[in-house]
Amino acid sequence: MHISDGVLSVTISVATYALTLAGTALSVKKVRDESLPKIAVVTSAFFVASLIHLPLGPTSVHLLMPGIVGALLGPAAFLSITVGLFLQSILFQFGGLTALGANAIMMGVPALTCGFLFKWIRGSSRMSNTLAGALVGGLGTIFAAVLLAVFLFTSGEDFLGVAKFALVAHIPVVIIEAAVSAFTISFIYRVKPEMLDWKNF
Amino acid sequence: MPVPGKIIHVSGFLTVGILLLVILLSVQGFISFKRRSKNKNKAETPDWSIPTLDAYADSTSFFHNWDPAAKIGSLFPYCFLIISLKSPFWCAIALIVSIFSIFFSNIAWQRGLRRLAAMSGFLLMFLLIVPFSSPARQGETVLIFPLLQSLPFHLSGFLLALTIVLKAFAIALMIEPMLGTSSLPLTLQGFSRLGLPQAIIQMILLTHRYIFVFQQEIIRMYLSMRVRGFTARTDLATMRTMGNFLGMLFISSFDRTQKVYEAMLCRGYHGIYPTFALPQTRIRDLAKSGLWILLGILLLVLDRVVPVLPL
Repeated sequence: MHISDGVLSVTISVATYALTLAGTALSVKKVRDESLPKIAVVTSAFFVASLIHLPLGPTSVHLLMPGIVGALLGPAAFLSITVGLFLQSILFQFGGLTALGANAIMMGVPALTCGFLFKWIRGSSRMSNTLAGALVGGLGTIFAAVLLAVFLFTSGEDFLGVAKFALVAHIPVVIIEAAVSAFTISFIYRVKPEMLDWKNF
Repeated sequence: MPVPGKIIHVSGFLTVGILLLVILLSVQGFISFKRRSKNKNKAETPDWSIPTLDAYADSTSFFHNWDPAAKIGSLFPYCFLIISLKSPFWCAIALIVSIFSIFFSNIAWQRGLRRLAAMSGFLLMFLLIVPFSSPARQGETVLIFPLLQSLPFHLSGFLLALTIVLKAFAIALMIEPMLGTSSLPLTLQGFSRLGLPQAIIQMILLTHRYIFVFQQEIIRMYLSMRVRGFTARTDLATMRTMGNFLGMLFISSFDRTQKVYEAMLCRGYHGIYPTFALPQTRIRDLAKSGLWILLGILLLVLDRVVPVLPL
């Protein structure tokens, strides 16, 4: 779920914008200059992957992928997610322009956390990598949903009901996200395992 | 405990009417969804189209003739002034300003409608949940529906949700005149002149260029899956296939990064793209910006001084 304009209080909108700009600046500093065009190309792939909807009973869900982005990009994940969300906002109106800061933190912070968690627990066997993929896929989505609920609740007590609903609505997404992330990481581990080492950037 | 000022018991007749309307709308939505998925099957691939932001950049209008840096520098803060509004009435006025802006920017109104449709699900959640879940306030009006005595409908909650919808619509519609009336490189150059680092601008440009490449790639990959008999379902097999599909997409994107970077180096890339057009901010542009900021401030002052329908 992307937060649209008008939901968050001005204080939260401005504060999250400032934090996102700082996070992005830090992310740019952390990666090599020549890596920026490469991260841009990979960001396009993540952007396109988020267009894919998976059927869920009578409806469908699209993947959020903070776990996979973190596992593949590491410290560059925040930058990639901010750029991707900016484009999603201006092209599709998925997420408001004034809520871009909050949306970037909602996805970027779980991605960074999951990236480091993945590196720490992934081990060296295919099974352990697959399980780590499932874990960061699920956890990344849970973390993003919790941050969404926190942003909504801190914007006003009227939004407590919506915050609770948003949390519950994410439960099926968590399961799908964990399963697809596990299969994606397992596939990458078999075909091109060096991609999981963050050496490209 | 806060005591409501006015309790309105909604008659059973009216409730049935509202329910019928909701059912009718849902049935219509379901039918159009079914019709769309039928077309989807015919087309073999789902709708993965990506709108072109600057499709109308070559036209001419009040917004087209406005220097991008001055335009973004005033319309972007204007959006923040809009989210500061509190009264539904002034939010509705802001929405009318946005509708007129789209009209005067010579951009097809369908583009605006598509933006509104994209966030309708998220906003509907607020319209349906907030009136029933917002906390009770002293002296507010409460509606009680038959069979829902324990779940009062708070009018203040409804007005709050309505305010959010109006603000979200007003800002979403402003995106078209703000970012769709100059070509994307010029718009991004405007951001750069406002202080956004070149590294980020280059990344946005390159990402934007490559999403269309990968869009073609996923359509091609998905078609080859379809000819092998793949149908997406809610099961583990679909998730495995989609997991492999995404894995392949990411691997090909990583492989492509090096080739793209080397090709860029061969063409003389050294960190920035050369730009040929260097628009300058003229007095006229600054006057437009000043007027727009004044309009935003006026809306904010009126919102605070004459709060029509306050929450």
